[in-house]
Amino acid sequence: MTTLFISDLHLESARPDIGAQFLGFLRGVARSADALYILGDLFESWVGDDDPDEHYATVKRALRELADSGVPLFFMHGNRDFMIGQRFADDTSATLLTDPHLLKIDGVEVLLSHGDALCTDDTEYQAFRQMTRNPAWQAMMLQKTLADRQVYARQARAASQQRGATMSPVIADVNQAAVEALMVQYGVNRLLHGHTHRPAVHRFMRDQERMTRIVLGDWYEQGSVVRWDSNGPRLEVLKR
Amino acid sequence: MKTVFALSFMVLSTLAVAQQDVPAHPYVRFETTEGNIVVELDGRRAPLTVKNFLALVDSGYFDGTIFHRVIPGFMIQGGGYTPGLKSKEPDGELANESGNGLRNLRGTIAMARRSDPHTAVAQFYINLADNPSLDPQPDHWGYAVFGVVIEGADTVERIAESPTGPAGQFSKDVPIVPVVIKKAVRFEYGS
Repeated sequence: MTTLFISDLHLESARPDIGAQFLGFLRGVARSADALYILGDLFESWVGDDDPDEHYATVKRALRELADSGVPLFFMHGNRDFMIGQRFADDTSATLLTDPHLLKIDGVEVLLSHGDALCTDDTEYQAFRQMTRNPAWQAMMLQKTLADRQVYARQARAASQQRGATMSPVIADVNQAAVEALMVQYGVNRLLHGHTHRPAVHRFMRDQERMTRIVLGDWYEQGSVVRWDSNGPRLEVLKR
Repeated sequence: MKTVFALSFMVLSTLAVAQQDVPAHPYVRFETTEGNIVVELDGRRAPLTVKNFLALVDSGYFDGTIFHRVIPGFMIQGGGYTPGLKSKEPDGELANESGNGLRNLRGTIAMARRSDPHTAVAQFYINLADNPSLDPQPDHWGYAVFGVVIEGADTVERIAESPTGPAGQFSKDVPIVPVVIKKAVRFEYGS
């Protein structure tokens, strides 16, 4: 059994090199996997499943081909593509996962997350996240025309409206206390996430228990993938 | 009491050692894609922070990093990422010197950090306004100010006016055209 995990590709038409590597990955390495999990920020932006952008359509077709070849595909929202919906899932044959998601691989439990919810130091972002993940807010957004939503996304007006006294010059990373609280809540000693673009395997002790936090990297210059097989998880780099 | 006295002595000794190693008022010039910024650091008020910062400057760490977070009327933050928002900053920790009497006033430079007080590493920011909310209070730590901009306030303002948007892992405030610190160097006037 080989399960692959990726995140933070930030695909956009302005970066065809990332798209080309990803399409190669879907038609190559991923075909021999038993499942592929995409843990958020597959796309740099997503204003709705009705966006006819040809670059997105190409990626969707390649995802669908992978699923049709017999590799189950799972998708979790990131902070950039949180508007991905059921139509995208239907088009690609992907299963949408809620964040966090508890997975069992060969009897080992691992908690999957995009990771942005763990960046609790940035209280201003958490307020923005709470607003934009609200189904009512998303429904309101989807009532706007595609063009309006694209303008909205570019200007990020939603964000500036949220500015207040909570602003602070924080270093953007997960908060260790939030990490431990989540792992305790789900009773796991393995957590796998992306978002921070700080690929690493962090090991720490909590109540005499060994805990592991694996962080996927981004795909700006090279691919980052976690391969989980009978030998356990390995954080790997795919050269471009 | 004896313990308190011993601890006080240790703290004072540490500061004394740090002060001997650290120049009182070193200058650092950031050569950015928007122009130069010169800061005068306060090695007396913030010896540990300045020592750490100068080591980063001397090692060339800041060369090629960007101002990734720009909020007009608040601050510009940089020193943690290269263009493309690749994290360059290692994990680390630095004693928080926010209680040194220096305040987060317009034009001052200070260390960014996580919510835990002693977690600054390399990311810094320049205040675009007086930001008293970032100063220490009796019940919480502040953000440590360790110097002031003495030349290039116009450069700071230009950076502050950069059009921004979401990018990479950030939902907003990232300059659309990267503002790069091409080089950060220590220098002395007249040299």
